[in-house]
Amino acid sequence: MTAQPTRRSFIQLAGAATAAASVGMPWAVQAKDADTTALYAAAKKEGSVTWWTAHYAQDAAEAVRDAFVKKYPGIQVSFIRQTAQVVYQRTLQDLKAGVKELDVFASTDEAHYAILKGQGALASYRPPDAGALPKAFQRIDPDNDYQLGAIGFVIINYNSDKVKAPPKKWTDLLDPRWKDQITLGHPGFSGYVGNWVLAMNDKYGWDFFTKLAANNPKIGRSVNDTVTDIVAGERSVGAGPDNYSYDKKAQGNPIDVQFPEDDAIIIVSPVGIMKDAPHPNAARLFENFFYSKEYSQTMVKVFNFPLRSDVPAFNGMHLGKIKFYRNKVNRLATGVPQMIAQWRQTFGV
Amino acid sequence: MPRARAVTFDASLLLWIAAAAVLIFMVVVPLLWLVYTSIQPESGRGLTFANYLTVFTQRFYLEPIRNSMILALSVALIAAAVGTPLAWLVTRSDMPARGLVRALTFAAFATPPFLGAQAWIFLAADRSGWLNRFWENLFHTQSGPFNIYTLGGAIFVMGLYSIPYTFTFVSGALEMMSSEMEDAAAVLGAGPWRTALQITLPLAAPAIVSGFIMSFLEGLALFGVPAFLLIPARQQVITTQLYEFFQFPVHVQWAAAYAMPLLTVTILLLVLQRRVLGRRQYTTVTGKGGRRRPCRLGRGRWPVLGLALIPSMLAILLPYAALFAVSISRAWGRGPVPGNLTLHWYRWALIDNLETKSAIFHSLGYGAAAATISVVIAVLIAYAVLRKLIAGAQLLGFLCMAPFVVPGIVLAIGFFSAYAHPPILLYGTAGMLIAAFATRFLPIAYSNSTSILRGINPELENAARTLGAGRLRTLSFVTAPLLRRGLLSGWLLVFIPAIRELSCAVFLFTPHTAVMTTLMFDFSDAGNYEALSTLGIVLMTITFAITIIAYRFLGRDFMQSREAAG
Repeated sequence: MTAQPTRRSFIQLAGAATAAASVGMPWAVQAKDADTTALYAAAKKEGSVTWWTAHYAQDAAEAVRDAFVKKYPGIQVSFIRQTAQVVYQRTLQDLKAGVKELDVFASTDEAHYAILKGQGALASYRPPDAGALPKAFQRIDPDNDYQLGAIGFVIINYNSDKVKAPPKKWTDLLDPRWKDQITLGHPGFSGYVGNWVLAMNDKYGWDFFTKLAANNPKIGRSVNDTVTDIVAGERSVGAGPDNYSYDKKAQGNPIDVQFPEDDAIIIVSPVGIMKDAPHPNAARLFENFFYSKEYSQTMVKVFNFPLRSDVPAFNGMHLGKIKFYRNKVNRLATGVPQMIAQWRQTFGV
Repeated sequence: MPRARAVTFDASLLLWIAAAAVLIFMVVVPLLWLVYTSIQPESGRGLTFANYLTVFTQRFYLEPIRNSMILALSVALIAAAVGTPLAWLVTRSDMPARGLVRALTFAAFATPPFLGAQAWIFLAADRSGWLNRFWENLFHTQSGPFNIYTLGGAIFVMGLYSIPYTFTFVSGALEMMSSEMEDAAAVLGAGPWRTALQITLPLAAPAIVSGFIMSFLEGLALFGVPAFLLIPARQQVITTQLYEFFQFPVHVQWAAAYAMPLLTVTILLLVLQRRVLGRRQYTTVTGKGGRRRPCRLGRGRWPVLGLALIPSMLAILLPYAALFAVSISRAWGRGPVPGNLTLHWYRWALIDNLETKSAIFHSLGYGAAAATISVVIAVLIAYAVLRKLIAGAQLLGFLCMAPFVVPGIVLAIGFFSAYAHPPILLYGTAGMLIAAFATRFLPIAYSNSTSILRGINPELENAARTLGAGRLRTLSFVTAPLLRRGLLSGWLLVFIPAIRELSCAVFLFTPHTAVMTTLMFDFSDAGNYEALSTLGIVLMTITFAITIIAYRFLGRDFMQSREAAG
């Protein structure tokens, strides 16, 4: 199975180590869902919840919406899927203008939450079912202003018809043999890409991108654009997402995934409720739903990582077996805007 | 009796004062805010020129300006070179199917260029484009000849959708021109081609220049096509750079400063256009219209028709076929083959997805509101100007035309600067988009109103006034009915561009006020091409349906009024 990383597992770096170690642990106690009857009743009165998500692709978000509506009929889920920086920028703009339309904010850049929390824009809420999360992700924010919402990786994705020997390491992408073959997202839009660019910069220095630019990559916006390009045959290899690549592979498209030897980049995507949420109860019910079995099962269906450890991943993949790298939150906060500026200088867009 | 008349006159005066206030709100305030924002420091108070220094001293930000100039100039050349002969063929020759060519050219005008760009991605993307694949299979080569992700690709697509500008101007002028001069040339022994080149073409020159300038400005101000085709090509133009300033980390002040050359160039060009037109007052173009005789193309009629249909084929037939094929595909990458065909996306867009449903509703609602507002304001002010009702009416007329010199994207930044904060907070409300659309297309409504009002003899109104009707009563019961057809067409001329508008909307919407175009733009990333194509087809179906219904309706109305007149 090419889908499954076969390399030995390495546990790396303080931040990642704690996370991975406990994610790997088998879940001893079957978590029991909390009683949400009162919350559901209050949420029903509000009638809808507005959710802006960068966590996963459109079809995955639709699957989450459908699973939620099935479990809690009578509440409409109004959502948009956009890249993390776009969602964040719209949120900041609304806050600045005093527009209150958003309930649940779901970006893929952890730093966004730290900044929003600093502005007092998030509501503190401990979803009763969050106990079902692996220990390492139990309280990613000690004040409960945000919780874990999704997990994914930036990996090397490639067209399996055209590429028989995919790059094994990130640095392989610098090989001139990939000239005009590479597709990338944009850190100014995508949280996945921002995370990846920062990780590459911190591992290899900006020189990595100067050399990568020489290979003339095609640059989209979302990290998922790499999947589109690869599936269409427009480009052959990319720095892309694991989940959406698997999703397209399962549909029979010629795409596959290579976990790089020099680390997949883990994307820890939180979810938070706005302090001024127009539908506060529906927002809480919706966030709590993230820790239900249904949510994790939906994640598996759309080839994303399940959050609960009592729901196995679609390919039996196990965080403990993946060699990954995680950017620290405070590094993301200062690093990503700086990376975006440098990226624009190097790539021209 | 005289007292009563004075009172009604006051009421109408109030109405015009209200219109003036609205104009100030729509035009003056955003533009002043734009200028003010451009000299505001990023943080804190005071005034600064730092924003201008930042954006105009770095090569990095100058490159997009150069690209924009190349793009706009090439687009204008294509539009003039293709639009002019096309207009001549449709208005002055006996080419068959002239109505069809005209209708298809209108269809190109109604199509949002970014939708065309998306279609051309399906058709001519570097490696995956269907035309390239077809070429590879046909000639057994490794790669096809087309790459839409280039400056050339963007010029091609924008040129296609700019042809209607020159076409409209030139065909309008040619229709007004009687063929007496041409007949004289013919009598003196000039052949049809010589007549066309030496008589008709110079007579139409001002219209060609106008068309050229309009398509140049369109090429400069358009956001969607460069965003779709040039960002992947790693080439920025002014509009995509402006959009980037609005992305995280946001620099509204830089954007305001960076928008200034766009504004300046536009103003200069329109002044130039006025001069060109002003100097060449051809009284032959009187609007009276003597007899016109079509130029006979002889045996060349059908081949010429074939040539005339090429632009429409590239702007309409191929793109719509591509969009439609994707919209009925489960997964677009597999192409429209059996087993991949589905109506799923239409069900998704029209029934299942809350966002698409509300976006369709918003597009139509905002477009209708904007069209109504701008037509009402335009007709009131045009009336005041032409009948010289109040002092300073000329100034109001000037304000109505002022948005014409403001590219949509610049207007959007002005609106954003002015109304995204108290005291007047429109951001996040439907009002933001409605006001912006109404302002953006006000000049169309105004020039439309002016030309219809000019066509109405004031004698009828004078008769009504003499018989004791007040100004407003006259306007409502005499002038308005006479204007009905013209006003409806003016309304449509605002409504159609408003529902296909992206450059303005993309800066002003919030997810709760998303319209179809902004939603399509959202879907263009992450490759949700089936969703995008489906929404595109829905948008165009609505547009064409409304146009056809209105055309029929207006057509019948038009016939009746002619009968009445006869």
